[in-house]
Amino acid sequence: MKVSFFETGRYVPPPGTPREWPVPSSAYDPEIGAGAYRAMIDRARLVEELGFDWISLSEHHYSPRILTPSPQLSAAFIAAHVKKIKIALLGPIVPQSNPIRIAEELAMLDTMAGGRLVVGLLRGTTNEYLTYDLNPKEARERADEGMELILKSWTEPQPFGWQGRYFQYRTVSVWPRPLQQPFPPTYALGISRESCELAARNKLGLGVSYGPFEVMAKSTNYYRQQAAQYGWEPGPDDIIYRANMILGETDAEAEKLYQERAGIAPFPVRAGLRDALLEADKRNVAGEARPANVGGVLPTTFVGGPDSIIDQIKRCRDEVGAGVLDLSLHPPGSGDVDALMSAIDLFGRKVLPHIREV
Amino acid sequence: MSAFREGFVEADGFRIRYMEAGQGPALVHLHGAGGLRLTPAHDLFAKQFRVIAFEMPGFGASPENTKTQSMPELAATMAAACGKLGLDRYNLMGTSFGGKAALWLASQQPERVTGLVLESPAAIRPEGGAPPPSSPEALSRLLYAYPERQPPAPAPDPAVLAKQQKLVSRLRGPNRDRDLETQLSQLKAPTLVVFGTRDRMIPPEMGHFYKELMPNCHLVFVYDAGHAIGAERPEAFVEVVADFLDRHEAFVISRTETVIHP
Repeated sequence: MKVSFFETGRYVPPPGTPREWPVPSSAYDPEIGAGAYRAMIDRARLVEELGFDWISLSEHHYSPRILTPSPQLSAAFIAAHVKKIKIALLGPIVPQSNPIRIAEELAMLDTMAGGRLVVGLLRGTTNEYLTYDLNPKEARERADEGMELILKSWTEPQPFGWQGRYFQYRTVSVWPRPLQQPFPPTYALGISRESCELAARNKLGLGVSYGPFEVMAKSTNYYRQQAAQYGWEPGPDDIIYRANMILGETDAEAEKLYQERAGIAPFPVRAGLRDALLEADKRNVAGEARPANVGGVLPTTFVGGPDSIIDQIKRCRDEVGAGVLDLSLHPPGSGDVDALMSAIDLFGRKVLPHIREV
Repeated sequence: MSAFREGFVEADGFRIRYMEAGQGPALVHLHGAGGLRLTPAHDLFAKQFRVIAFEMPGFGASPENTKTQSMPELAATMAAACGKLGLDRYNLMGTSFGGKAALWLASQQPERVTGLVLESPAAIRPEGGAPPPSSPEALSRLLYAYPERQPPAPAPDPAVLAKQQKLVSRLRGPNRDRDLETQLSQLKAPTLVVFGTRDRMIPPEMGHFYKELMPNCHLVFVYDAGHAIGAERPEAFVEVVADFLDRHEAFVISRTETVIHP
């Protein structure tokens, strides 16, 4: 089992900071923000030293909760300060960006990071679509087309034109190309039928996130079935599971932390807007309709002391088939950075050595 | 503008003139300190709304108004005029000075106002802000980012200007009106505040105060428009206002289709 640390740029909001998304930018404190970015480097060095395989980044906007609106910038910053850990960009929100720009930036990053980039291509969570005025009804199709265009721009040897549905270019010829040829390990991120099919069709990995094992397994099973139809078989490294983990010295300690934090939504959205977003953005798990998570709580699927966590990870490997765990460690969003550092350290000492062979 | 028909309604002892056009949900408009002037935005609104643009008592050709002593009184008169027209529930838009009247009206009759739009509202003004100048040239420079692009208008009647200015000075109230501002936190009507980025009459930086004071308020800047947004960028202004009045807070969700080739 490989392990990735999900770095969110932990901004520690002072008491009384508004929580509803979008959070007014007047609540932002530049000094706290500067500290949050410095601490990213401290954590990157720590997880590298402890033997984590990847450090991962994501794109979120308009909130202190995850302070990385441009994960490409975070990746470049971190890459300049670490030596061997891989930088996993999970990932740029493709439907609301210029796909050629993404292809260029990721190729630069992979080259500058000495071929240590891992790429996840993401459709994005619903509220984020408001950031760049993306029509939620178009998100799926724009994501699919953008992802295929990115792959094409990395692999097509001659300047080409693209006559898409949503994107049109008369000439594309990306420099630099990625250092890892033909392109870095790349994952489609999502649990929908469309994500699974896109990943299978393009021989990409699949990244699933947060849901209970049995729900995630629906997607990973469907992905494997689809891959078989395209004549290939994904390996363990082809499946990432991103999850919240609350690790304590003992089960009781972890359970106590879980009870304190479990009901807190990372990006609460006011009710009227939430309902309208749910109406506009229809989602599915491997083809079964289910509502998007808009402003809701994200499950925490790993809770316990080191031994329990090791058992849960084994179960995850068996049920979800994931070979890479991408962990949001310690009460996510608690703002308790010291406790987070302790949890990372504890994971590195008491868990990591025992899950390598899982 | 030929589609607009003139009408009159009696309320609070005033004979109030209005211009009306269009069909659909009612959109009542209260004008700014310069009086009623139909703009291209009115025509565009009339394609989707039943637009009723009032000339408030004391403005334009109406007799001098010495009766109304305060903005809440003016608002009550305009609410009464809406009632006389048989309007039960309506969208309300106030421009500049009329924005303050609209806020008072919405506070007095919250059950009537389905959506509230404040175009360059003058209800919150910077400290030291002066009343608008009286010379037409100076006024034009404050109203428009591009005065030279506006169609020529007949020179205003000095007597009308003097009469209006007296009334506006009496009713406009302080730059920060505590009585009004305490009302705003109670005002639940979905509200859209719109400022032009080149407003020289009221700094667009006043916009955030409304958002901070009102529980259900959205703020939009119209790029490159001056104070008279509806005259300078009517298409941009009407699109966002109409979308807001249709969808309220859900208007932040884009419906723009970006397919290039099916």
